[in-house]
Amino acid sequence: MTAGAWICLLAPLAGAWTITVMGDTISRRAAAWISTLSVFVAFGGALATFVGLLRRGEEERAALTTAWTWLSTGNFEVGLTLLVDPLAATMMLIVSGVGGLIVLYSVGYMDGDPEERRYFAYMSFFVFSMLLLVQAGNFLILLVGWGLVGLASYLLIGFWHERREAVAAAKKAFIMNAFGDATMALAFFVLIWQTGTLELAGAFEGAELMSSTALNLVALGLLGGAVAKSAQIPLHTWLPDAMEGPTPVSALIHAATMVTAGVYLIVRAHPLFELAPSIQDLAAGLGAVTLLVAGLVALVQTDIKRVIAYSTMSQIGYMFVGVGLGAYGSGMFHLLTHAFFKALLFMAAGLVIHHLAGEQDIRRMGGVRSVMPRTTVAFLVGSLALVGIPPLSGFFSKDSILAAALASGGYGQVLFAAGLVGALLTGVYTFRLFFVVFLGAPSPLVEQHAQGDGSGHGHGEGPWTMTVPVAVLTVLAVVGGWVQIAGVWHPFGDWLEVVAEPLVEPSVTQDYVASVLAVGLGLLGMGIAWLVYAARKRELPRTAAVRDVLEHKLYFDELYDAIFYRPAVWIAGIWRRWIEEPLIGGSISGVTLGARRAGGALGEAQSGYLRSYALAIAAAVAVLVVVFVAVQ
Amino acid sequence: MTTALIFLPLAGALLVWLLPLPGRASGVLATLIGLAEVALWAVAVRQFDFAQNLQLEDRQSWFDDLGVSYHVGFFGFSLWLAGLTVVVCAAGIGYATWANPERARAYQGLLLFLTGSIVGVFAAQDLLVFYVFFEAMLIPLYVLIGVWGGERRAFATVKFVVYTMAGSLLMLASIIVFGLSQGTFDLVDSGVSSNDWVFLGFLAAFAVKAPLFPFHGWLVDAYRESPPEVAAILSGVVSKAAVYGLFRIAIAKFPEPVQEFQVPILVAATIGLVYGSLLAFRARDVRSVTAYSSMAQMGLIVMGLFSLNELGINGAILQSVAHGLVSATLFLLAGMLETRTGTSAFARLGGLARGRPELATVLLVVGIIALAVPGSVSFAGEFLILAGIYAEGWAWAAIGAGAIVLAAMYMLRLISAVLHRSRGEAVRDEALDLRPAELAVVLPLLAALLFLSASPNSITERNFPIPGSDVSEAAR
Repeated sequence: MTAGAWICLLAPLAGAWTITVMGDTISRRAAAWISTLSVFVAFGGALATFVGLLRRGEEERAALTTAWTWLSTGNFEVGLTLLVDPLAATMMLIVSGVGGLIVLYSVGYMDGDPEERRYFAYMSFFVFSMLLLVQAGNFLILLVGWGLVGLASYLLIGFWHERREAVAAAKKAFIMNAFGDATMALAFFVLIWQTGTLELAGAFEGAELMSSTALNLVALGLLGGAVAKSAQIPLHTWLPDAMEGPTPVSALIHAATMVTAGVYLIVRAHPLFELAPSIQDLAAGLGAVTLLVAGLVALVQTDIKRVIAYSTMSQIGYMFVGVGLGAYGSGMFHLLTHAFFKALLFMAAGLVIHHLAGEQDIRRMGGVRSVMPRTTVAFLVGSLALVGIPPLSGFFSKDSILAAALASGGYGQVLFAAGLVGALLTGVYTFRLFFVVFLGAPSPLVEQHAQGDGSGHGHGEGPWTMTVPVAVLTVLAVVGGWVQIAGVWHPFGDWLEVVAEPLVEPSVTQDYVASVLAVGLGLLGMGIAWLVYAARKRELPRTAAVRDVLEHKLYFDELYDAIFYRPAVWIAGIWRRWIEEPLIGGSISGVTLGARRAGGALGEAQSGYLRSYALAIAAAVAVLVVVFVAVQ
Repeated sequence: MTTALIFLPLAGALLVWLLPLPGRASGVLATLIGLAEVALWAVAVRQFDFAQNLQLEDRQSWFDDLGVSYHVGFFGFSLWLAGLTVVVCAAGIGYATWANPERARAYQGLLLFLTGSIVGVFAAQDLLVFYVFFEAMLIPLYVLIGVWGGERRAFATVKFVVYTMAGSLLMLASIIVFGLSQGTFDLVDSGVSSNDWVFLGFLAAFAVKAPLFPFHGWLVDAYRESPPEVAAILSGVVSKAAVYGLFRIAIAKFPEPVQEFQVPILVAATIGLVYGSLLAFRARDVRSVTAYSSMAQMGLIVMGLFSLNELGINGAILQSVAHGLVSATLFLLAGMLETRTGTSAFARLGGLARGRPELATVLLVVGIIALAVPGSVSFAGEFLILAGIYAEGWAWAAIGAGAIVLAAMYMLRLISAVLHRSRGEAVRDEALDLRPAELAVVLPLLAALLFLSASPNSITERNFPIPGSDVSEAAR
């Protein structure tokens, strides 16, 4: 069983390494297939692990396996350790399964790109990193996986590195996530000194003896990492920009897997969060705020991928509500179904973008249904699943979260209300997108590509490597939710219960109330979208101020620019101008000046230097004396 | 064994100077001597028992009545610093052979002489021996920068000389006072001292060498004007002489003053970390970014040392090795960029990744390790350092963690300014990808970094024989 876990982890790494080392001695197509194969081998390993776990008794479904000691000093020791349990196995299956489909899709999508090899090396590397994250057997290795997925995300967002926007978006994603890494590291320092270990079980045990302040700090640090990685408010601004990357990247990293890592982290570390209930409530609250704000902003976006990106933020908000309230099974269930239908939406959108030779602006689209009927069906299925219409997958998982909220007392009911408003918004923005892009008369751009303009695009719906994964995900988006039906059967929840026992159990009545309200509001949202965007019977109420605020995404970018970036630049400038150049004398202008003088009379100038250095050293000593006196 | 490790490159230097070989041939000879030195170090590692303290000792009485002897040997941690030295210096000599400067014989001889002196610093177990090697290390550096440096070499050299001389003189005074009062100059035999002024004399020399804020005035000019391989050795290895000195002399011999001055030193180190990171973020060329980031990293390493607990000190040694390799590779790459484009200024670079996969991959990997991405050896070092300093106060760790974000900002800025976006005006079509000779220089450094990233424990479990403090005990 642990052998399967290692194969699962190492196959994609081997794929990435092979492609990198072989360089251009293998063809671009060969690189693509090596990468695809490596991820499907990983899926095989994940399946073997899953079957191995199933064969064991419920209480024995956990195994640790250590390759070697990664870091040690004195009694503090951290191994390169994997943990195989139902939670890890679930994530392994999602990551390698959906990942395999998306890499296969990339074989068609990236065909002809001159730097295909680099793309597929990065993709395999990402899958490896993500698997390391979900299989990590201690907190330090988890942080390693956490950081490496951020790196892979950086590399893939900035894949088209000659585009200024792509490079900027990649850096932004990495730096915001580095902030999350830093808060997690701080949480781990507290754990090291309070419990003496970063082993999961040891830390959970030791945490019970910790003070509530320390526990709150640990949980807050972990939440910081989770919020950054999962693009929840206030660390969310990198995700919409990340859409600069190739579309399969958005499907894999920024929808199905990496961005849901925050949800996984809260479930994995749930004993720590349960000891810090106020922080766990905070997680749920941030999720609720995010699901509303992202739903609102999605209403006014005009880039097809950005609409779906905001929808991703919003859906992860639901997951945060779920796991924040202790409904771990429900949160993970939504993570699973969301991986199916959101990857489907991105990949169907990718087919459209591919067909239209890279166009992403929905104002130039319309009537795509006439040229891409099967893609239209796939997108419709994804949209219905996203809105949560029965019997599609999103219905079961979203309603299970809402029912848990309804069952969680006063605070839960506030979140429940937010979730219902979110369901309405989801209906509107999802079907706005569907109606504008797929229905109506074909736009000039669509007509032009329908006839084919000799660019190699616009030939049917796409090659089989792209359509087959979309078809598989369409099926999964329909049936993926049937592993858990409220009040009837719940194998998925039972499967995860040995890892994380839920704190809330909604009654059957609460389940039905939540379902009826959520589906009703979802349908209402679709109706509004129909009236405004398809039948065009109603004009949008245009309140310029509101629209302006939404189009500027609530001014978060401007705010962060003003409170972080500009001050950093300003302080650096002040230090350079008033400390480094005059006092310490390492400046460029100082050097130029010095060199000019040196050209004339070297000897004389040097004695001049000597004086000024003696002065600089004296000044340095003086500064130090002042510091010493001030501190002591 | 230790003596052979010190004197092989010194003898090699003489050989290169004396044999009348043409430029390239003397370079090849020097490279072979450098590689032999690496092999000799590997033999020393095999002989070394990491469960024991000081080993591979050689001792010859020098001035009996003063208690001075030629006494050299290695601890686990100093053997790693010596390993860093011989590897980086061999790479530097190899690169110089490829670049083939004028008067190559003199140049290569000086590089070998420098190698032997630095190994001597890390092996010294007697204060006068330490002082002799410490000064011997500086002389070839003055000449290498002053003669073979860039346009403004005179300026950079004078500055470097004045700063280091000032530090060295204070240290010499401290050595004399310490040695005479102890009755011996031997680091093993001597006891501890509580004299603040003697401590500060040592501290001054090491603060200049590291450099620690605000003693870094020589840094940017020296790193910018040196030939790339000299800058690589200077930032990667020579700065670690300060680490050895601080740990082996300042911390080991002055326990009381260290306690007394711990907070001010941590303040200076922390300021250096933030200050260097922010200036690196606004610097305008590859070399300046690397220079200021070196300063920031040295601040971090000093924080680890002065956490005075095992986590922090072990992290500081690991980070010294990691930073040495990273910084050396970055300066060598800066040199390779300069030979192609004539500049390392960001404003004139850009778009080099297109069609140059090897250059792009190497720079990307080193840059990513430099910004301490989780899973890299520099991450392991920083994690231990910050975990150690956390015990002295959470604020130190919080500022240090913030500096990790700054490191991401300045390294990603460097990477994209050189490799990405549209092509810079200095980048011509003829600018080639890395040549095989250049790859032969940087790939071993890269391989060392990747190996250590897979298993940083190969160093941390071999630094110190006996666990000094117990992390889980400290919790109680």
